[in-house]
Amino acid sequence: MTELAPMEFHPQPQPGAAKPWAFPAPERGTLDNGLTVLHCHRPGQQVVAVEVLLDAPLDTEPAGLDGVATIMARAFSEGTDQHSAEEFAAELERAGATLDAHADHPGVRISLEVPVSRLGKGLGLLADALRAPAFAESEVERLVRNRLDEIPHELASPARRAAKELSRELFPATSRMSRPRQGTEETVEKIDAAAVRAFYDRHVRPATATAVVVGDLTGVDLEALLGETLGAWTGTPGEPRPVPAVTADDTGRVVIVDRPGAVQTQLLIGRTGPDRHDRVWPAQVLGTYCLGGTLTSRLDRVLREEKGYTYGVRAFGQVLRSGPEGEGASMLAISGSVDTPNTGPALDDLWKVLRTLAAEGLTDAERDVAVQNLVGVAPLKYETAAAVASTLADQVEQHLPDDFQATLYRQLAATGTVEATAAVVNAFPVDRLVTVLVGDAAQIKAPVEALGIGEVTVVAAE
Amino acid sequence: MPMGHTTTAEAGSGGLTATEHRLANGLRVVLSEDHLTPVAAVCLWYDVGSRHEVKGRTGLAHLFEHLMFQGSGQVKGNGHFELVQGAGGSLNGTTSFERTNYFETMPAHQLELALWLEADRMGSLLAALDEESMDNQRDVVKNERRQRYDNVPYGTAFEKLTALSYPEGHPYHHTPIGSMADLDAATLEDARAFFRTYYAPNNAVLSVVGDIDPEQTLAWVEKYFGSIPSHDGKPAPRDGSLPEVVGEQKREVLVEEVPARALMAAYRLPEDGTRACDAADLALTVLGGGESSRLYNRLVRRDRTAVAAGFGLLRLAGAPSMGWLDVKTSGDVEVPVIEAAIDEELARFAEQGPTPEEMERAQAQLEREWLDRLGTVAGRADELCRFAVLFGDPQLALTAVKRVLEVTPEEVKEVAEARLRPDNRAVLVYEPKSPESVEDAQLPEDPEQEATVEAGHKNEETAK
Repeated sequence: MTELAPMEFHPQPQPGAAKPWAFPAPERGTLDNGLTVLHCHRPGQQVVAVEVLLDAPLDTEPAGLDGVATIMARAFSEGTDQHSAEEFAAELERAGATLDAHADHPGVRISLEVPVSRLGKGLGLLADALRAPAFAESEVERLVRNRLDEIPHELASPARRAAKELSRELFPATSRMSRPRQGTEETVEKIDAAAVRAFYDRHVRPATATAVVVGDLTGVDLEALLGETLGAWTGTPGEPRPVPAVTADDTGRVVIVDRPGAVQTQLLIGRTGPDRHDRVWPAQVLGTYCLGGTLTSRLDRVLREEKGYTYGVRAFGQVLRSGPEGEGASMLAISGSVDTPNTGPALDDLWKVLRTLAAEGLTDAERDVAVQNLVGVAPLKYETAAAVASTLADQVEQHLPDDFQATLYRQLAATGTVEATAAVVNAFPVDRLVTVLVGDAAQIKAPVEALGIGEVTVVAAE
Repeated sequence: MPMGHTTTAEAGSGGLTATEHRLANGLRVVLSEDHLTPVAAVCLWYDVGSRHEVKGRTGLAHLFEHLMFQGSGQVKGNGHFELVQGAGGSLNGTTSFERTNYFETMPAHQLELALWLEADRMGSLLAALDEESMDNQRDVVKNERRQRYDNVPYGTAFEKLTALSYPEGHPYHHTPIGSMADLDAATLEDARAFFRTYYAPNNAVLSVVGDIDPEQTLAWVEKYFGSIPSHDGKPAPRDGSLPEVVGEQKREVLVEEVPARALMAAYRLPEDGTRACDAADLALTVLGGGESSRLYNRLVRRDRTAVAAGFGLLRLAGAPSMGWLDVKTSGDVEVPVIEAAIDEELARFAEQGPTPEEMERAQAQLEREWLDRLGTVAGRADELCRFAVLFGDPQLALTAVKRVLEVTPEEVKEVAEARLRPDNRAVLVYEPKSPESVEDAQLPEDPEQEATVEAGHKNEETAK
């Protein structure tokens, strides 16, 4: 073959000796005001990441005020006792900093990223926001209106619309998890400055909060900086909060959210599983990766690389909320988009992949490659300060020990093919999956019904 | 192999250095050492993008990029993905107007594997390329197009604005994703010809950044890439130059199923690599680069007529850059209200220029973006390739921050006055098909619930 002639081929090279790397161990301390602090020095990371966790879970929102935690989180960056909303935004940008906050089932999380040269300035603004937020009426009113304006945009996104429907299907109506994290139009429009202030007074205090600081801290007197900033935040002592049990109905069924004319069908197929305290977690991570972690996993091998039905389908497990004793839950799901005419065939193949996996199990080669990837990518994945800070904060938020991630890597390496198979087959049983399809019902309903993967109902897009 | 020169760190480079080398076959190599973390990034830029495509074959560069992951002389099927991921690495490829890039980030001890893989496909892709992978990846790319553009509200805005901004027949008139009809029309022979024309060592730059031994790395590069023959015959890209200003306002109104009215606009701006482009970047940052910007303060905070308002800069080297304005209206506010406010703010800015505080903030923001970009080995490798391919000098990557900080307020004012004018833009207006009733709207979800398939930048397509 002429194309091959000119190049000199060499055998595939063998790797050199691996260099040691371990997930960084943070140092823990407590400020005088009770704030827990984890910090971690990462040489070369000039942008420092700071994560603050507030013990204000979504299920503490007052009845009928879903979204108040979100509005509070956003209002933190809309002015303090020192600066108006516009000034606060300007001061942050002057420091080259970003401040993001969002509310989720476990609590409210605030993320600051700032060049280390302006760390003091960034921490000062963060501390002002937490210590003395203005919550001005006009600003809260604006955030509420803005949030109401966002809702139709979210409903128009097939992926978000699917996630909304799956939560509504899985969890009982009484559970906060059945409802949108950021509230509905009905609840958001009732939120005002007084409601935000009341939520803040009730749930935000340093004694139940944690700050994680990661970056190149060479020459930084962190203790002094924290003392002057977050150390000036005061509040009453807090009490540990019980974590409610999570129940979900994973009876196999299909819900089509009708979008006439859609050229693709968004798939979201899920159920709930245990949180990361469960012993099955490492094996489930491994098995889920083999099922749908990447382009060469079982699902994409067929749906994308053989059939071309999709740009990519992924399987994942994501913790929703966790308690100290493992009383939490995670979402186990398969997600992706397939073209409308191939929706039936794609789901048929997807179920075949799951059935084959249950019948035949994973191979040792698959398990080995998955372990090599999951463990091997750690140094890449945690190159930035933000990535390390985020994982450390997740661990705190989920009541896991500070060495959880480091231990997880060792456990993954020690997990065998049989355990990984059992975990993933239990995680995705073919008759206990709730399938949400956002697509053109007139085109896809009949072919999906013919698959026999559960009763099919159709709901309007909105 | 002629050895390149070693530079000393320059101010504003964060102490980073890079060395340059060239193999006898013309492959340019850039190396940058950094031993903080045991990882190494490999990045390969081919000097070919959608601007090189011809009429009737839009999307070919990107479709071809997908084919580069379908095996080569010594690599079977999905071997590129399997071997890199099995070695604990990550990888992807993206296509933009001006280039196609491929990159692997590896644990340092697996660097040689990534070099071997890149060399294998550069030298022997056609040994593995067949109808089956062509047909399969054509379907995958069409589904990529549906997922990221056609099935998303406002999804085709970028494509439409680009077509309005760069005239018919201009190499940047179409975007990298291409049209469905052209994707269908592409043949195996088109792909083969594309490879033969553009995939040559003398049309590429390879950078390796991270925990590396430069001498050993160069020896590996020579071993694996050195025997790949260079070839010429690449046609010069069509001329992308255009007059400095459009001279009229282009406009398109779309009535579509979208959740809210929107006003988008593309302004014609100076080419990347010029001081005026950096000045334009600062102007757009002051006007629409964050929550203290003039447009955000005016439309979102004060007038409360918009949900979101922002400016972005698409830097282009072979044609005028594009300043992209995106405003989604609040409630039932009409587009002319928004447009009048924007024109007023832009005119005021052109007249006054930035305040000292605005300059400081904009420069701090752009400096921070550069710190983020250069803070990972993969980001650094990509920037070194970018400056080498587009401007002939990778060292420029390490001084980019310094250049942004040197721009004066007068230069920012000057570019705003000359370019941010109504007669220098293309405007796209979205009107919802039926007046949106949010009466029974409920239950949105958070972005983290979205599909986890990697998405690239708006102007890039990705293989993964």
